[in-house]
Amino acid sequence: MSLTDREFWAVVHGLILGTLFLLAFSGGFVGIYSLRERLLTSEGVAERLPRMLVGGWAMAIVAWLTVLTGTWIVYPWYRAMPSEGTTDLTAFPRLLLLSEPATSAWHTFGMEWKEHVAWIAPMLATSVAFVILYYGVQLARRGEWRRPLLVYFTLAFVAAGIAGAFGAFITKAAPIY
Amino acid sequence: MTTQELDVKPNGPAAAAFLAAGIGAFVLGLTVTLHEAFPPVEGQTAFWDFAKNFGLGTGVGPLSGKVISGTLAYIVSFVALGLAWRGREVNLRSVLIVSAVLLALGFALTFPPIFTVFATE
Repeated sequence: MSLTDREFWAVVHGLILGTLFLLAFSGGFVGIYSLRERLLTSEGVAERLPRMLVGGWAMAIVAWLTVLTGTWIVYPWYRAMPSEGTTDLTAFPRLLLLSEPATSAWHTFGMEWKEHVAWIAPMLATSVAFVILYYGVQLARRGEWRRPLLVYFTLAFVAAGIAGAFGAFITKAAPIY
Repeated sequence: MTTQELDVKPNGPAAAAFLAAGIGAFVLGLTVTLHEAFPPVEGQTAFWDFAKNFGLGTGVGPLSGKVISGTLAYIVSFVALGLAWRGREVNLRSVLIVSAVLLALGFALTFPPIFTVFATE
């Protein structure tokens, strides 16, 4: 039972950070969603704030770590080029996918979308986390921010979700060894 | 700081954060599209290949320049707008509309069926 160096980083990028991202989103989203002044006492707002802050900032930090490890560690292995005369493309996932018409769209559509759209997630999550930090407990009285925060937080999740889903499918079609 | 003082906390810095997200997403989408529209000449390194051109990584290719540009646009606009709007109350509705439009463009321009329309090859 062992993982190669490449498999280890693929797991860190996709599975570990991806799971933390989901957890952070859930915590942050519930905190923002339930933030209605008329339903909360000041103690209730103060009790929710740390959860929102942790959820928001954890999602932002995890999103940055995910795109950084994905782009600068895992992606170069994905797009590696073989030396001349190589016939076995197993270690070259991009070329392996492109070599068959039945799998080429995993790269031309899936990977091309995933590698770009993923980077929108950390920007959105960081902006949401900043607004939560900036207003603090006062956010409950700032009803005009509740919907924008929920929408941007959810869009961050959608962007990461697109990337994560295609990452899983592409890894299935052409794993990084 | 009293409760009354907290109540007048201006929305400028928070609005700056949201507008910066829209700007960052749009610049990212724009670089993706520009790379498709203006590919490198045969045998030359792509302009957006910051990994090779500036030594920012190995094997990342043009993706490096696109995401670095988008991220820099986000950080610079966040800081600049945050400083410009520090202590100010801005029209939140207008800022959110502009941010949403930029964000929608950013999402659209990172979608392959859209950015490949501009491809020259």
